[in-house]
Amino acid sequence: MENNSRRDFLLTGLITAGLVSGCTPKTDPFEAGASDVALPSGKKVKLLSVDGEEIEVDEAFLKPVPHMPPVSNTEARIGIPGKKFVMVIDLSRCKNLKKCQSACNHAHELNPGENWIKVDPMQDAEHTAPYWEPTTCMHCDEPPCVKVCPVDATFKRQDGIVLIDSDRCIGCRFCMAACPYSTRVFNWGEPEIAPAIASQPYSCETSVPQKKGTVGKCDFCADMTRMGELPHCVSACPNGVFAFGDINQDSVSNGAETFRFSDLIKDKGGYRLMEDLGTKPSVYYLPPVSRNFPFESGLENDKEQNK
Amino acid sequence: MKRLYKNFSALLALALIFAGYNTFAQATPKADLSIAINYFVDNNSVPSLLVRVKTKVNGRFQPVEGVSVNLFLDKDSAGTTIGRVTTNRKGEAIILIPVSVKKQWATSVKHTFLATFKGDKKYAEGKADLTVARAKILLTTADKTITATVLELKDTTWTPVKGVELKIAIKRLGGDLPVNETPTFTTDSTGQASADFKRLGMPGGKSGNLTLIAKVEDNELYGNLSVEKTVNWGVKFIPVNTFNNRTLFATRDKAPIWLQLIAYSILFAVWGVLVFLVFNLIKIRKTGGQV
Amino acid sequence: MENSITDEKIIADLLPQKFGKAGKIWVGVLTVICLIGLFAYYRQLRYGLIVTAMRDYVSWGIYISNFVFFVAISLVGSLITAIFRLAGVKWGAPLTRIAEIIAVAAIIFASLIIIVDMGSPERFYNLFTHGRIQSPIIWDVIVITTYFFISILLLYYPLLPDIKILLRFKQKSGNGLHKFYNYIGSFWQGTPAQFKLSEKAINILCITIIPVAFTIHTVTSWLFATTYRPGWDSTNFGAYFIAGAFLVGSGAVVVAMYVFRKAYHLEKYITEIHFEKMGRVVVLLSLLYLYFNMNEFLTPFFKMKKSEEGYLNGLFSGDFSVVFWFAILIGIIIPVVILLFRQGRKPLPMFIVGIMVIVGAWFKRYLIVTPTLLNPFLPMHDVPASYHHYFPTWEEWAITMGSLAGALLIITILARIFPIIPIQETLTEQHEKAI
Repeated sequence: MENNSRRDFLLTGLITAGLVSGCTPKTDPFEAGASDVALPSGKKVKLLSVDGEEIEVDEAFLKPVPHMPPVSNTEARIGIPGKKFVMVIDLSRCKNLKKCQSACNHAHELNPGENWIKVDPMQDAEHTAPYWEPTTCMHCDEPPCVKVCPVDATFKRQDGIVLIDSDRCIGCRFCMAACPYSTRVFNWGEPEIAPAIASQPYSCETSVPQKKGTVGKCDFCADMTRMGELPHCVSACPNGVFAFGDINQDSVSNGAETFRFSDLIKDKGGYRLMEDLGTKPSVYYLPPVSRNFPFESGLENDKEQNK
Repeated sequence: MKRLYKNFSALLALALIFAGYNTFAQATPKADLSIAINYFVDNNSVPSLLVRVKTKVNGRFQPVEGVSVNLFLDKDSAGTTIGRVTTNRKGEAIILIPVSVKKQWATSVKHTFLATFKGDKKYAEGKADLTVARAKILLTTADKTITATVLELKDTTWTPVKGVELKIAIKRLGGDLPVNETPTFTTDSTGQASADFKRLGMPGGKSGNLTLIAKVEDNELYGNLSVEKTVNWGVKFIPVNTFNNRTLFATRDKAPIWLQLIAYSILFAVWGVLVFLVFNLIKIRKTGGQV
Repeated sequence: MENSITDEKIIADLLPQKFGKAGKIWVGVLTVICLIGLFAYYRQLRYGLIVTAMRDYVSWGIYISNFVFFVAISLVGSLITAIFRLAGVKWGAPLTRIAEIIAVAAIIFASLIIIVDMGSPERFYNLFTHGRIQSPIIWDVIVITTYFFISILLLYYPLLPDIKILLRFKQKSGNGLHKFYNYIGSFWQGTPAQFKLSEKAINILCITIIPVAFTIHTVTSWLFATTYRPGWDSTNFGAYFIAGAFLVGSGAVVVAMYVFRKAYHLEKYITEIHFEKMGRVVVLLSLLYLYFNMNEFLTPFFKMKKSEEGYLNGLFSGDFSVVFWFAILIGIIIPVVILLFRQGRKPLPMFIVGIMVIVGAWFKRYLIVTPTLLNPFLPMHDVPASYHHYFPTWEEWAITMGSLAGALLIITILARIFPIIPIQETLTEQHEKAI
């Protein structure tokens, strides 16, 4: 009698397990477009099809995905599986409009003077051409900033993005000393943020709200990429200087145009900054060849703060 | 009598002042909103509307957040209400066509969408409308050739449409990669446009699947149509997470073994000596007591 | 044979003395400076590091250079106490307590000033709950803590015989101090067994403290050398820092020697011979440090790499040239010149040289931190104009001076409660001489 009941129990357990595993859709997170595939929530909505018929659609499959609250900071440390984000900056198109900078500052509620994107006038040597070079965080594959952080406040995720946990940061600024690209900024005083936003819990993916006495930097708009959207700087640039994408999908997009990443880099001779330091950045630059605008057209926008 | 007259004239004065103040207050002009409606049908299933609200600030158009717009189908009445939406930070709002307008939808193959904004303290009232004809787009593949067909519903038959600009691309993160160097295609008299798939060696998921998309964007007559199809023309790609190894830049639990060995052995050696010395002190203390 | 009269005289000379008028004024001034520093720190806690002049490019300022300075000085304990003792340098015996006291005071304030530099010090515990063993800062925290405990032990062990002597003079110590001495050292009876254990322990400590001292300053130098920046990306840094540390430590001991000798009338115990010998030590260490400086600056100057060009030119002939040449001349070269002469190794010139060495060393540490940060790889752009310069604000100066005053205060207090020259060792030495 006992043997039978144990066997029954095991069998029921097996069947249940089979059913459960069969029912949960095995979404391959890497399948093209699979990042937009949400798990069915079970809640169905009645909608009108274009043929005039009533159809039922699971709420989770509606597009666009409704605004999701930021993921927990523990989740934010893991990152999105299967993806490796990469940015391409086309120096031949940059006119120093700084729309990228203002969009980024606005989206992340940054203080004036605390620019995560800097647009530098560059001239490598006396006889080489001057050009405008926007720099973001390079999200290096061997990040010197992450190596030196004593408390794991800055970390590299599996999708390549390097983020900062402002709840953990002790403000020692070793990461700022270690970064050769000078991309990190520090909240020296109390950030000027609206109280409603300042009282929100800090999210690593949105990097909002910034806190006094902690470090900040470009985060590749991790919250936007999680939803399959482009970072703010990419959408804001009217000249299509920034192109963002997934190297595992071999494609980058600047919003209006989409390019095959490997072809783009090969055809235009893309390179990375300070390659010899061995930081392995995730941001590629296309050299300023056949420029869209002369260098001088960007000078007027170089305001007093850069005198 | 005199007191009544005094009170009445005081009230009248007050009323006049109040009226004057109101007109004065209303003298500040309200800004104008520019409302645009866009019509989307994805995969020939559920139609949706995207409302964009902008206003001119210093000669430049800026998106406006928090504007509530009412949407109607064909007629501005309660029975043909599609819904009410409020624009988000980007000045956009999306709504799906609800089941409640099923009757009105069935009446014709051409529809007009109306958007009205009642006006508030800041902005004057505004209107917009968009007329679309019902159309659909189909996608077929053969070998490495992709054919997109655009059909319009005339009365009850689907007829091919000539001269519609469309794009044929592979769906990727953040954008759609055109399948070859030609950015757009135009449908011929049979309503078809063909493209050769030139993106060989494209990474495509565990089984090498790619999702193709053909889309009509911002067409005057048909709005935005798109259709997707999954094909197996990609290269198998299994992502490997290379950032979970023991490195100098890993989290504390993934510190390199050699580093931990060196650090902890030095630490234990030195602190071992210190602990021994403290015990030595205790020993000295004990021998002192024995004298 | 114990000569009790001479012994009594020695003990009377070396007992801690109450503060005279000068002593009280000295303590008062130091306390005031500390209090001003504390107020400045309160402002910093309230408003954030924005009260300093540090900004995104010069993200480390005089707090960090002060930290390096303190860690450097703390190495004096290992030099005078440990190395001299192990090498059998007998004349250094009276100086061991001074050295240890300076070391303990310096290492305490090194830890404090590094907490002051943190932007979010309320999260200090994260260093222990979430510490990453891969980070040089964690290595620094570990070594500094270890060195602190070693220094305390190296101060305490040789102190035990002296406490026994101090306990005989309850009248002179007063009730409070007497109770304190009782608490920390009443178990010491001076038996041969105890002496044997103590000697063994002190030997082990001396052997252990040397590698730990080397490690502490090497790891501190790695806070800079593990970055890519010009001026910091140097393989020379560990040895360069240690050489500098020994120099500034010996300078500090010389100054302390002179002050305590004058204040407590210890001319018989810290004699001119001690100054003469320390003078030679300082010359040796200065030349060694000069050698490392040449390595550090001449070789990059020869190559003049683009990334280092701004930094080197700034030091040699640009914005930092005055401070740089001041630090080299006052801190190294002129002391060497003065000390090469016999007259220069007399107490008063030695005292002045000691001060020069310390001041030169402080500015040298400032030059390690700031010029590099003002020469980043990418141009300083899209930032407010104030980011292009660095001159500390009054809060930074107040806190820095407060920390220096605090360290001096600890030294003064420790010298007040413990005999500044080890009494028992002096007695033992006298007995050995008599025999």
